[in-house]
Amino acid sequence: MTTVSTPTMTRRQMLKRVGAATAGATVVAAAPMAARAAKHGKQEVRYAMVIDTRRCSGCQACSIACKSEFEVPLGSVRSWVEHVEVGKYPNVERRMLPRLCNQCSEPPCVDVCPTEPKKATYKREEDGIVVVDDSLCIGCAKCLEACPYDARFMNPFKGDPVKTKGNGVADKCDFCLHRISQGVQPSCVNTCQGKARIFGDLNDPTSEVAKLVEEYETTVLLREKKTKPSVFYIDADYLEAKKDPKADQYFRLDTHRRELSSKRWA
Amino acid sequence: MVNRRHFLRIGATVAAATAASPLKTALAATETQSKASSESGARQYFDEGGKDYSYLRGTEKEAVPSACWQCVSRCPIIGFTEDGVLTKIEGQPNSIRSLGKICAKSQAGINQVYDPDRILHPMRRTGERGEGKWKRISWDEALGELAEHLKRLRDAGEPEKFMFHYGRMKGGTSKLVHNFLAAYGTGTIGNHTSLCEGGKWTAQELTWGSHYDNWDFDNTQFVLNFGSNIFETHTNHISTAQRLITAMVDRSVRLVTFDVRLSNTAAKSTEWVPIRPGTDLAVVLAMCHVIMREGLYEAGVPFLEFCKVTADYRASVDDKIEALKRHVKEYTPEWASEISGVPAYRIVEVAREFATRRPACVISYRGAVAHYNGNETERAIQMLAAITGNIDNPGGRCKAVGASWNYPKPKKTPKTRKLDLLDGIAGQIAFPTHHVSHQVFERIKEGSAGRPEVYLWYCYAPVYANGDCKGNEEVLKDESLLPFTVCVNPFYDESAALADMILPDTTYLERWDWEDMVSPTQIPEFYIRQPLVAPMGESRNFADVCCDLAKKLGLKIGAKSMEDFVEKSCKKTKIVKKKARGFRGMRKKGVWHNKRDKPQYFTYRQDVKDKELNKETIIFDDTTGVYWDWKAAGVGSREVAEAQGYTHTKKAYRGYVAQQFGDLVYVGFPPDKVNKSGYFEIYSSLMEERGLPPMPTYMAIPEHADLAPDQLVLTTYKVNVQTHSRTMNCRWLAELYHDNPAWINPGTAQALALREGDTVKVSSEIGEIETAVQVTPGVVPGVIAISHHCGHWQYGRFASGKRAPEGVDDIPDRDTRWWNRNGVHPNWVIPNSPDPINGQQRWMDTVVRVTKIKST
Repeated sequence: MTTVSTPTMTRRQMLKRVGAATAGATVVAAAPMAARAAKHGKQEVRYAMVIDTRRCSGCQACSIACKSEFEVPLGSVRSWVEHVEVGKYPNVERRMLPRLCNQCSEPPCVDVCPTEPKKATYKREEDGIVVVDDSLCIGCAKCLEACPYDARFMNPFKGDPVKTKGNGVADKCDFCLHRISQGVQPSCVNTCQGKARIFGDLNDPTSEVAKLVEEYETTVLLREKKTKPSVFYIDADYLEAKKDPKADQYFRLDTHRRELSSKRWA
Repeated sequence: MVNRRHFLRIGATVAAATAASPLKTALAATETQSKASSESGARQYFDEGGKDYSYLRGTEKEAVPSACWQCVSRCPIIGFTEDGVLTKIEGQPNSIRSLGKICAKSQAGINQVYDPDRILHPMRRTGERGEGKWKRISWDEALGELAEHLKRLRDAGEPEKFMFHYGRMKGGTSKLVHNFLAAYGTGTIGNHTSLCEGGKWTAQELTWGSHYDNWDFDNTQFVLNFGSNIFETHTNHISTAQRLITAMVDRSVRLVTFDVRLSNTAAKSTEWVPIRPGTDLAVVLAMCHVIMREGLYEAGVPFLEFCKVTADYRASVDDKIEALKRHVKEYTPEWASEISGVPAYRIVEVAREFATRRPACVISYRGAVAHYNGNETERAIQMLAAITGNIDNPGGRCKAVGASWNYPKPKKTPKTRKLDLLDGIAGQIAFPTHHVSHQVFERIKEGSAGRPEVYLWYCYAPVYANGDCKGNEEVLKDESLLPFTVCVNPFYDESAALADMILPDTTYLERWDWEDMVSPTQIPEFYIRQPLVAPMGESRNFADVCCDLAKKLGLKIGAKSMEDFVEKSCKKTKIVKKKARGFRGMRKKGVWHNKRDKPQYFTYRQDVKDKELNKETIIFDDTTGVYWDWKAAGVGSREVAEAQGYTHTKKAYRGYVAQQFGDLVYVGFPPDKVNKSGYFEIYSSLMEERGLPPMPTYMAIPEHADLAPDQLVLTTYKVNVQTHSRTMNCRWLAELYHDNPAWINPGTAQALALREGDTVKVSSEIGEIETAVQVTPGVVPGVIAISHHCGHWQYGRFASGKRAPEGVDDIPDRDTRWWNRNGVHPNWVIPNSPDPINGQQRWMDTVVRVTKIKST
């Protein structure tokens, strides 16, 4: 029989832990926060998302919320959910991994962007969101190659057809900049029934994301690539299963995307 | 009004103009925002919704509250429009049911409105039936012709030969359409509940009276699940699923799921217990055995006062306990293990956990009830909940609470007449309380109950949604059986293709209604549906069409349009008028509940006023302990009522008032549709009278005995991004789920020499299909699992690749369908076969042969 993400803590234990964590946080946790802020220069805000996979039932509401928010063309995604099925009957598990652009602090996509003098894709200094300026993008797709997470796609329905030679522009998640700038949660966060997606400012120790990152052991995708993602996962233990699938073990990854990418992110 | 062509063009224009970088718009907005932020300190908290902004222009979209209809959950929503075009749907943040959340399907409702394959004009066929040749006609012509037919039948004294058959019809629409049908005089009204979960409802009507169970996850400590895929498809999906997942993570509530398949629900459960199809009943009975044997029924003892467990309703609780012990004595875990494949120790452990973690909630759905023994499975589940005291209590299995609207009704209606087509083959089904809709065509074909001369269906997909697609097609095509057929549909589906006339319905996002779906908090929520956009083309809401038809036929049905009906209902429903500011208030807010309302639990312990009991027309029925009003039940006199008794008076339940429990009189568990007493009937005298076991008793599925090695049990299921048959036209949903290779366990695959990707023939006694194979350990051995949803051969380009007769061709490139496969529909091999007790379609019982026809 399968055991998936068994919550073992009682509510009391949980509250205790949260209490302890937050009480100490203001003083103790201030150090890493300050260090982080210092490292990013004048960056006051670092928008981040915590994805608590225990709360994700794989319902795909986030996928459609994103699709409709941005009229994402069929065949492409800015936000998606991967399902990983592993095990041997009857000990089988299926785990869900919501995905989006990691808004890396060291974004490889920005490094390769060739436009001068201003890069078409860049990290916003004020809040760490990696964006694409459609008016500057020349459609070279180098950033798609550079992204280790497969988070970008070419959107032929955006940009200047002449400038992009008809390729369209690179497109990807921007944490719903047009919504958060108006004080509304990102579209995927708004619709998440399990509240698996939590969004906020990691540099503010009182924010829910900062508290969660402090309290829980979180993972980021492909830590070894040193991209420093701003998307943190709680209880995404199957990342390891993915990296080291036992030869005799059943393993199925469904990305629900148009193609299973040849360059999987793990 | 923006028509569809215009809308499609907007997409293109916007694309061309996008050099006007959306980022810049957003950046401009950030500047204003960060100024505001610096004044009020760093902003960490964002609005949870209720607002949306154009990603292209940065402007705020217009927000209109309404209600979803993609599935029967009918969640409150907010639609966001730009220049009259619907661009986003979100949940209604003020709803106490959905808490502002909606599912993938709900958000893809936009695709329904802008489906390029909609029907936008009334059409009459010009070729042979089913040939696909059509001519546009005017509404005047269409309704003129229909009204002529209806007049002719009525004048001939045969209104019953107008058969109305609906699939989903809820809320106010159901009332107004029924007003029309009642004023006209036909009672030949079909539904499709036996395809859904009608059997579950019948079993509940036999035990606790009314139907529908709410699962109180907010207050539960443990959830035991038999065959519900609540995280993907429940009838109150988002409202309940989110509460369950929250309970699991925040309060460490354990969820144990018995299912033949690793659904996402099973996957997210604390434990998935694989079980052979159709054997849940054995496991439930064995759990009852463990609880009675080990004396774990202590918490259930007070509730047993309210249960009928023996033939004598006056039996003492001790007698009841003895009777229960006797009844479940033979159902040992070892016995159940042999049948179900579930290890005996797991049955014991889960039974103990269910009985001792209080309160606990047992939930169930089609995986458990769409079987030959489904009625008994649900009754046994009710028994399991009852003996542990988990009925209608905080954290348990509760009675449904929904908004109670008052609405206009016709003043005078003729006595209705009906054709006996609805309840299956005569005498075969003991309690068809929700009809046997999947056998309606068989009844029409066989002809002994007469045939409709006008057959009109609404929001129903008879060809696709029932079993035996081929048989359905044959009947619907046959003009000698059905001389005149009318389909009301916004889309050209498999059934519309066989109609004589199509009336273009609006989608749910273009129409009015009031709604009343059950609340997971036990507090009723009132909400309305209002148009988010004007109806496309000439499409018209069917309820409005009924108002027109009524006028043509000289009938008064209480409203002149659906909007009028909703407005009048807001006036007639006192609390809405007074507290929710009536129609205007509902339009503005969309949802409303009374903040003073307390959650409704233990409803059976409500007192009955002496005044009511002492009414002259009330009599006490000694054999059941029921107080009933013979006049309200429609009996001519007290003498006749007393002579017949409560149980044997037709529709006596309509006069039910209260139940005697020992020395006390309470509301009890009032009956609905059958003459049960006000007890929670674990022991059903009604079942007994039909020669059926009065207590929930094991029945094996006859076809599952002695299967040959190449015979598998076909099990069906639904996924999170599709409804049974009405969403595959939604492009965003079809993109996510459009193909359904059959799931087979690796052991079974090996025995049949099958490998992943092989093509197999799946054949049953009524037909065969071809499908690819997916070898997965997520399904029990001996089973082949094929989902519903797929294999459309009409329903527009996104569903089937096939253009509808009046489909538009200028679909923007961004919406190009990139997938070629559209899967297979299992209903070609599933016969229309009912549970013999309640008539539920047996979706999970078909035995098939699986043979390889092509290797990968």
